[in-house]
Amino acid sequence: MTVVASAAPLRLSGLRKAYGEVPAVDGVELEVEAGSICALLGPSGCGKTTTLRLIAGLERPDAGEIEIGERTVNAPGRFVAPERRRIGMVFQDYALFPHLDVAGNVGYGLGRRPDRDRVAEVLALVGLEADARRPVHELSGGQQQRVALARALAPTPEVVLLDEPFSNLDAGLRDRLRQEIREILLNAGVTALFVTHDQAEALSIAETVAVMREGRVEQVGTPEEIYSRPASRWVASFLGEIEVVPGQAAEGRVECELGTFPAEQVEGPVDVLVRPESIAIGLNGPDGAAEAEVVNRRFFGHDQLVELRLRSGQVVRSRRLGFPAWHPGDHIRAWVDGPADVMPRDPVG
Amino acid sequence: MEAGAGAFGDAAAPRGRRSSLLSRRRPPLVILLAGVAIGACVILPAAYLVIVVAGDLGPALDTALDSRTAGVVGRTLGLAAAVTATSIAIALPIAWLTVRTDLPGRRLWATLCTLPLVIPTYVGAYLFVAALGPNGLLRDALGVERLPSIYGFSGAWIVLTLFTYPLVLLPLRSALRRIDPQLEDAARAMGRGPFQTFRSVVMPQLWPALAAGGLLVALFVMSDFGAVSILRFDSFTQEIYISYKSSFDRTATAGLGIVLVVLMLALLWIGSRIRSARATHRLGPGPARPPRPYALGAWRWPALASCSALVLIALVLPVGVLVYWASQGISAGSTSLSLAAGLAANSLMTGIGAAIAGGLAALVIAVLVGRYPGPLTRTIERAGHAGYALPGIVVALALVFFATRAVPILYQTLAMLIFALSVHYLPLAIGPIGAALAQVSPRVEEAARGLGRGPTEVFRTVTAPLLRGGILAGAALVFVHAIKELPATLILAPIGFRTLATEIWNQTSYGFYEASAIPALILLLIAAPPLYLLSERGTVAS
Amino acid sequence: MRVALSVALAATATALGACSATSPDSGGGPPEPSEQGITLYSGRIPSAIGGAIDMYEAKADRDVQVRFGDTGDLAATLVEEGDNSPADVFFAQEPGAIGAVAARGLLAKLPRDVLDRVPPQYRDPEGGWVGITGRARCIAYGPDVSRSELPPSPLDLTGARWKGRVGWSPASDSLQQYVTALRLRYGDDVASDWLEGMVANDAVDYPDNVAIRDAIANGEIEVGLINHYYVAQAIAAEGPDYPVSVYFPPAGLGSLLLLASAGVLQSSDRKEEAFDFLRSLLSPESQRYFTSSSKEYPLAEGVKPDPTLTVPLSGIPAPRGNLNDITQIQATIELMQDAGAL
Repeated sequence: MTVVASAAPLRLSGLRKAYGEVPAVDGVELEVEAGSICALLGPSGCGKTTTLRLIAGLERPDAGEIEIGERTVNAPGRFVAPERRRIGMVFQDYALFPHLDVAGNVGYGLGRRPDRDRVAEVLALVGLEADARRPVHELSGGQQQRVALARALAPTPEVVLLDEPFSNLDAGLRDRLRQEIREILLNAGVTALFVTHDQAEALSIAETVAVMREGRVEQVGTPEEIYSRPASRWVASFLGEIEVVPGQAAEGRVECELGTFPAEQVEGPVDVLVRPESIAIGLNGPDGAAEAEVVNRRFFGHDQLVELRLRSGQVVRSRRLGFPAWHPGDHIRAWVDGPADVMPRDPVG
Repeated sequence: MEAGAGAFGDAAAPRGRRSSLLSRRRPPLVILLAGVAIGACVILPAAYLVIVVAGDLGPALDTALDSRTAGVVGRTLGLAAAVTATSIAIALPIAWLTVRTDLPGRRLWATLCTLPLVIPTYVGAYLFVAALGPNGLLRDALGVERLPSIYGFSGAWIVLTLFTYPLVLLPLRSALRRIDPQLEDAARAMGRGPFQTFRSVVMPQLWPALAAGGLLVALFVMSDFGAVSILRFDSFTQEIYISYKSSFDRTATAGLGIVLVVLMLALLWIGSRIRSARATHRLGPGPARPPRPYALGAWRWPALASCSALVLIALVLPVGVLVYWASQGISAGSTSLSLAAGLAANSLMTGIGAAIAGGLAALVIAVLVGRYPGPLTRTIERAGHAGYALPGIVVALALVFFATRAVPILYQTLAMLIFALSVHYLPLAIGPIGAALAQVSPRVEEAARGLGRGPTEVFRTVTAPLLRGGILAGAALVFVHAIKELPATLILAPIGFRTLATEIWNQTSYGFYEASAIPALILLLIAAPPLYLLSERGTVAS
Repeated sequence: MRVALSVALAATATALGACSATSPDSGGGPPEPSEQGITLYSGRIPSAIGGAIDMYEAKADRDVQVRFGDTGDLAATLVEEGDNSPADVFFAQEPGAIGAVAARGLLAKLPRDVLDRVPPQYRDPEGGWVGITGRARCIAYGPDVSRSELPPSPLDLTGARWKGRVGWSPASDSLQQYVTALRLRYGDDVASDWLEGMVANDAVDYPDNVAIRDAIANGEIEVGLINHYYVAQAIAAEGPDYPVSVYFPPAGLGSLLLLASAGVLQSSDRKEEAFDFLRSLLSPESQRYFTSSSKEYPLAEGVKPDPTLTVPLSGIPAPRGNLNDITQIQATIELMQDAGAL
């Protein structure tokens, strides 16, 4: 177990970067606690990779500040070169040095004459101590990724940045490696920020998730917060399936077809956002449960997705355990037994 | 997987070309200064022309705008276009046959088809006259009354094509090796036949290599003097020659020289339009698996026959004539092998010096253009082509002009000659190095930066080692051309410094062709190994 | 690693070689650079001047550093070098080149005794250069032509009899000098008419005189306008059965003498030694060397030409007017271009 001497917090404020007319990063604010893992999540083109490159010093921002720990590495009139930022980087295609072997790659950041013990230590951290002398092109994708991580960690950086680190791996490998990398990062105690478009990845690895859209951070929070209390309809739908049921809010409560929920500070027509896995169905339900008819059912083994038509005609989906087996035409009850979010009905959304 | 695609997955990135996204990326100071210094050096020949013309604008303008000049320009451009077209027509099938098919002995054919580059065009020209001219050896051998005329446009066209097409063949083979065969598989699966697939999938990826190689050929034709003089084709260089020999008036000649530079800039512009319009995507670092060779089947025989015919005409025939003459010479006792050894040593020194200087300079330029593109770096690269397009005598006179005024101590030293030759042939080396650089992902360099190394150190420890193959290939090209060069060598070499090229000239200028055979053969022998390496290794990504 | 090492070795070797201001002559023993050695720019190739240089070096115990090259290129270089030229002597194969150098004031005035070694028509009236050897224009003819058929003047080669049978080389300096001489003697119109006539008569264009000679030898053409010594050299090499012979047309400047001349550079620091060199070139021994090796005419007074040269120098018209005047040559070129010959 290796402890990084100085994990530092990361602070971005008012970060802006445009390419020509198009702003890629449009006023990003973010704080990452020292030693924690944060995911920058968003669709293609939202500016997450640009943000990463700005933090690394590979691009210059048009405006804004970046602080790593005590040091300001970016500010109006101040720019610290990438090699002086003490930041480790893991690229999507690993970017290993083809002309150096594994040990050579890992030791590169340790100076002209790298400490062999340190190299061995870091290689042991990622489980590749036996492959120190192998040329990198002989390694599998997963092994290359671990070399890339070891290389980034070897010089004890304050922050590690990872750019879609798992997208080049086979699906089967991906999940296992996600957990391994997470363990390594936590053990190393380093501040980590990784960029991904895969919400499952962000939710399962990170302690904090920042959702980005069109150059801005839409919401920051723990995975649970983001998932169950999305700040906007867009965030909600980006993170998973949602069902939107119209309702009416008055005096702190909202009524909709699937039941009644608390609703602070909203009045009038609202939308209730519910995840399919929070929609319970059964032959009988508690008071206030809606009447529904099964329209379709898809079975996935560990769960099933049931489409049901409510009395109003709206079709919602329920994702629950794989049994009992429902059939189209069954008359059932539906109600909400998980978190529900209430938002003013906004036609733009 | 295209390098760079992941890092900029943003759809907002305009045009998808990385270079346009790098606004205001400053190259490290050392490299920038080196680039500017090199730019200043390569611009000397053009600067000389401007200085001379500025001294007396009248005669220069008169000559430049003369109607006769227009006719010569037209003829020369016509020759350049014709030679470029036929060079491509030869190089493309050969490249494809030797890289993508199961042609028997294709590595050997690749080398043999590249070797004609070692034959200097002036040697090739007089060999052809000797073989096919009125007094031709072939005439006796074939027993015919009269052979088709070797002189004039057709002669220049054939001879120049035969000895410059390898300049297109080399980058084409290199490009073909880097193409991902999966695209073609996809096209075939969609029902396209082999020719259609080639035309619609492979050709677009080859345009940059075609443009680059074609440009080198066109500029070479415009600057060639020896061959067109022997074959009696009134090209631009002949005009320049007549002009300064008739009047020794530099201004009129300089006027013509400037016309030549303008033509060259126009050609460069056309070349870059072709490259940017057609470069649909950057070739990746190479396919994960080598492509399946295309089975020729019965087509193997015509393919072999064509390759044999080409090698016969472009290589066997010239070398054969030389060997024949050498044997005559030896039996008549008119050649000295010890003298030849000394000449070879001098040629080697010159060639290696120019190769090192040219290779290093091209490395700087290629890195500037590839990693830090901008108006300044593009100008430097274009300026470099001026030294290549101008005839050797103009480059030599430019350096005489500057050296005798600025650094007389270096005048007529080997260092100055090497400098002149590297300035003259620099653009040849930029191609292979640029191609190798395109295969090095910028992510790798960025990773090195993140690991705490400054830009210059990254260049030294990461970029340069990965460019080794390209640097060697570029240096080899410069070497081969430097040892063939004649007019600048005669003017700028130290007094008494004789090379194989000057010896060939000595012998042939009085018609002692037999005596020129041994130095010519030794020249070919020296130039062949680097060219073999170029053909074999230079095309494979390091 | 090995590659880097060999590259480093090569670079070191080259750097060492490059730093030396001059490089010893390869093939022979490196000559001791003498303090009073002179530098010669020679438009003549080694085999055409080597013997004379050896004679001088032996007699004067001085070193001659030679830059061989094309006469025109060397002249252009001298013009470009100006006062900074390292050359002491310039030996030009064509009059235009040395004329251009002289016109720019780059040649020193030669001492009287040097100039007086040759008759006045073979030297610069201003005293800048002196003729060393001469070569004569002629009509070379092949075995299928008898001497009696040959016209008394090259101007007659435009006749129908000679259609497609005459070889000439408009690109060569010697023909251009002939045309210049025609212009100066007979006027532009005569010269122009002749040029157009030759073109209309399908005169065959060759890159140089050697090609013409060879073409006659194998029967491709019947006659050609070249310089006499190419034939003389071939006969000397191949034997008296060589199929090409020489005829000096008595009229129309058909046997015009062209001079190879030498001068001393004004910028030279070693003028005395340079004058000595010219004296040596004009000495009987050197002149005999020139005439016997390259079959040219010796210009120094009192030297007999090689026995194979059957026509004496007195029978060959010297150039009248100034062939060395560059403006003349320029005008000639334009004339030839207008006539379609160039």
